[in-house]
Amino acid sequence: MKALAFLAMANPAGGSDAGSDASARAIAAARTGDLVAFETLMRQHERLVLVTALRLLGNMEDAKDASQEVFLRLYRNLGKVGASGNFPAWLYRVTVNVCYDMGRKRTASIPVEDAPDLAAPGADPHQSAAGTERQRVLHMSLRMLSAKERAALVLRDLEGLSTGEVAQALGSSEATVRSQISQARVKVKDFVERYFRRRI
Amino acid sequence: MNCGEWEERIALHAGCDLPPMEAAAVDRHVAECAACQALLSGLRQTAGLLREAHSEPVESAHYAAVRARVLSELAGRQRPRWAYALLAAAAMLLLVAVWPKARRVVVTPRPQPVPVAQALMPPVSAFSGADPLGAPSGPGTPWVRRPRPAASGVTRKGGPGGPPRTRGSAPPLQQVEPSSPPEPLVVKLITDDPDVVIYWISEGKGE
Repeated sequence: MKALAFLAMANPAGGSDAGSDASARAIAAARTGDLVAFETLMRQHERLVLVTALRLLGNMEDAKDASQEVFLRLYRNLGKVGASGNFPAWLYRVTVNVCYDMGRKRTASIPVEDAPDLAAPGADPHQSAAGTERQRVLHMSLRMLSAKERAALVLRDLEGLSTGEVAQALGSSEATVRSQISQARVKVKDFVERYFRRRI
Repeated sequence: MNCGEWEERIALHAGCDLPPMEAAAVDRHVAECAACQALLSGLRQTAGLLREAHSEPVESAHYAAVRARVLSELAGRQRPRWAYALLAAAAMLLLVAVWPKARRVVVTPRPQPVPVAQALMPPVSAFSGADPLGAPSGPGTPWVRRPRPAASGVTRKGGPGGPPRTRGSAPPLQQVEPSSPPEPLVVKLITDDPDVVIYWISEGKGE
């Protein structure tokens, strides 16, 4: 028991290894056409895909469409995924690409200057400072960013990936990603401050 | 002081994305600059609010809906494969059912070209008083149909005891006696002259 406890402490990423082993097993089984195994694989990674898509696209219906497309691409590429070492990085990359594609088909990003017009008309300034309104503004703030800035910020600040992992997922250099992240942080802060200043 | 050059580093520092040396330099600058201090504070506060706003869990029904849509799509794609497999199985069954007949047809040796006269002639037993068409002499004897002659353009002119036979009619049945010794082969050649008939009798080893 003590030995096991020691090992668990010495390897805090043990859970992650177990997760990747489970993913590898599910991928191997799904590659043979086993849909039950593929469903298991989806359950293991559905939060990553759907939540990331929701943060990138801003609404649940589009996020569900994007998630569906991501998992269908995963099914088509099970052979390649098995060969690539970092499965979550692959999933993040595909999710971002699918969301890029969907974003291109919809409206372009909204200029920051126009953002206050999106606020709910007649909202009470006192209520705006709290709760629902604040959440709405914060969600909206991501829509003010360019697609690449939004992806960099979401992956780094909300998904908690390192700068290197974000660069890998976006297919960019770390320097580019750092620049995108810093610009995105400043834009979001400016948007939120400007919004509440005007409302008050 | 122009703080524009610090903005990017301060924004990175707010998310702990700077190496220790650069982070220390930013801290030193912020300690001396009120505007940059407000910037750093505002960035950290906004980042915290943003994380909080996006921390709400997604309802499990949304995950289930995605899973159902994906699995439905994949099951739809797999259906044609099953159909192909079913077709292949049916084809195999058909092949197995037809194969024995096909093999019989293939394996059966092609009939040797036999002179027309030989095919039309009864076996030698006809000369010993048996039925000229080769009717069985007793019960239990096997019957086989002789192979059709390869070419026959000649009409038989009323052989002994039988009606005239024409091309295309069924060849006569012949009694087979596996254990009996080979009988001499009799060939009757009919010429254009009705008065001239040539008989050829072979007493070889069945040939």
